[in-house]
Amino acid sequence: MALVRNWQLGREMSYWYPENRPQKQFAAVFDINKCIACQTCTLACKTTWTAGKGQEYMLWNNVESKPYGCYPLAWDLKLLELLGAQDWQGDSYAGRTLFEAAPAGERVLGWRPTERDYAYPNVGEDDCAGAVETGASLQVPHLVWFFYLARICNHCTYPACLAACPRGSIYKRQEDGIVLVDQSRCRGYRECTKGCPYKKVFFNPLTGTSEKCIACFPKIEQGLQPQCFANCIGKIRMTGWISPPDKARPENPIDYLVHIKKVALPLFPQLGLEPNVYYIPPIHAPNTFLRQLFGPHVLAAVKTYRAARDDLDLAGLLSLFGCTEQVMPAWKRDGDWIVGLTDEAKEIVRVPLREPVHVAAAYDEKYQVARVNCP
Amino acid sequence: MLSSRCFTYLALLGVVAAGCQRPAPPALPTTVQLVAAASLPAEPDDPAWERAPEFVAALIPQDLVDPRLMQATTAALRVRALTDGKRAAFRLEWADASEDNGAGPNTFSDGCAVQLPAKAEPTLPAPQMGEPGRAVHITFWNAAWQEAAAGHRDSLPDLYPRATVDHYPFESAALKQGSPEQRAMADRYAPARRLGNFMHRPPGAPVQDLVAEGPGTLRSLPETTATGTGKRIADGWSVAIVRDLPEGFASAPEGQIAFAVWEGAQGEVGSRKMRTGWVTMTRVEQP
Repeated sequence: MALVRNWQLGREMSYWYPENRPQKQFAAVFDINKCIACQTCTLACKTTWTAGKGQEYMLWNNVESKPYGCYPLAWDLKLLELLGAQDWQGDSYAGRTLFEAAPAGERVLGWRPTERDYAYPNVGEDDCAGAVETGASLQVPHLVWFFYLARICNHCTYPACLAACPRGSIYKRQEDGIVLVDQSRCRGYRECTKGCPYKKVFFNPLTGTSEKCIACFPKIEQGLQPQCFANCIGKIRMTGWISPPDKARPENPIDYLVHIKKVALPLFPQLGLEPNVYYIPPIHAPNTFLRQLFGPHVLAAVKTYRAARDDLDLAGLLSLFGCTEQVMPAWKRDGDWIVGLTDEAKEIVRVPLREPVHVAAAYDEKYQVARVNCP
Repeated sequence: MLSSRCFTYLALLGVVAAGCQRPAPPALPTTVQLVAAASLPAEPDDPAWERAPEFVAALIPQDLVDPRLMQATTAALRVRALTDGKRAAFRLEWADASEDNGAGPNTFSDGCAVQLPAKAEPTLPAPQMGEPGRAVHITFWNAAWQEAAAGHRDSLPDLYPRATVDHYPFESAALKQGSPEQRAMADRYAPARRLGNFMHRPPGAPVQDLVAEGPGTLRSLPETTATGTGKRIADGWSVAIVRDLPEGFASAPEGQIAFAVWEGAQGEVGSRKMRTGWVTMTRVEQP
């Protein structure tokens, strides 16, 4: 085991391999507040990558309703129970990571889903956390709530799947930090499916190997966002590159959201993998639940997001989500316009800070017809 | 007088009783005895195996390299061995109450393996999968591969009888089934197969010839020349493996061999296995 720096924990931690950050790290920001669980992302992924035999049950991308939704069954609950209660001390994680809590004989603390655990991909869908009581009123956080959590592989800086594989069949690409299973080397031991806490590695019984989200690397190599990003009709996702916090650049949209504004947070940072998909937390869910999912900074992130209407830069950057299939490594605000840029500051896309609004008359005098049914 | 007669009777009874004692059983072989044979049996229930004495190998958990097997499972392996001078046949039998030959997300297969030094040399490679520059050759038998090779558990309905699938792109009516275009498209959704990594059903199934130079370095040889067959017996599995003898073994006074067993029901796979260290293997003309 080596000692490595995990900035999400605010401390060093033990990992199976020495720290070896890639030249660039694939990262993403998902705005949970915009997701409507239409599953277009899920279908885009499914039809592109996992329409083969033995892949039927695989969802490299899925959207689950929290608190009760989960795929595979109780993936998060089982792991949290296995790890036990842990704590943060301010910005520093005082508990044990999955690597530090690994029992004798194991590289990672984990569990392996059974076939039954994969049998209910839409369990808990749209289920509220509780019932609406008499006298309830609408407030924030909501008394009764749920939200949609879209999940792909986190292409972690310290992948548990990679650490768990005794054959070194899983690797992290130096050029973009994408984590892949070497399909020529995997022997189907399924240590990765046990080790990955997010359960984003799947065993294909008809190839005898494990398969996982590849972040659509053939598209990334062409400067394009993955299928689940490009097809997201809610425009909740943005692909990009994340820097370590000490090298954060405000002109990098991911750095800006994660490191500068701290409005996007990793999922279960306490597990110790330094996941690279970041979530803008839902504003309407209780802090206690969100803190467990996104760490101690979640309340501050919600406050920042709620104040975005008065923050032209933040509001503007959020409006760039889903505006182009191209990856935008840089951005800027140009007055009332937000511009997505290449690394060479060449313009990719330009969107207005505020969408122009046209108020149509309820009754169209010219054609003598009602344009809305509720004047 | 009476007492001396009684003594005589007692002495005679003692002599008779001593004569009735069972002869001491022959000592169990302490090595794997490789018995010369004109031809090698391919099936584990072939009567030819009776010519070879049975060696009982005590198994220990693989607890040196993570991930480890922390609790002992299969206690022992019964081994018989025959050779025709170029190839060797091994029959491995062990107790296993459950027949595990499926392949699901959390379903593991029973299996066994024989390991030989790649070359017969005075000093041995590490028994734990060899070491860099000093390879070991392994022949691995897998119950799930045997099922797949027999045509079982080889399709979605075999694995999940209640599953239905709307559409596979490579089975579209627009594609002629079996055409190069159709096969290429199907392979796009099975990258391991496209890369020649047939872990569901290797070409030599149900066995695979492998080479390793230390833990985590196992790789399949370009071609599997070994054969294998497993059958269920009263207490578990009986598996016959026929493979080449290692280079130089014909002129060496004796060789070494190691064994491993995987109990699928216990989730044993890869390095989670019961194993032996090196066991001496001697060649004998007659048992």
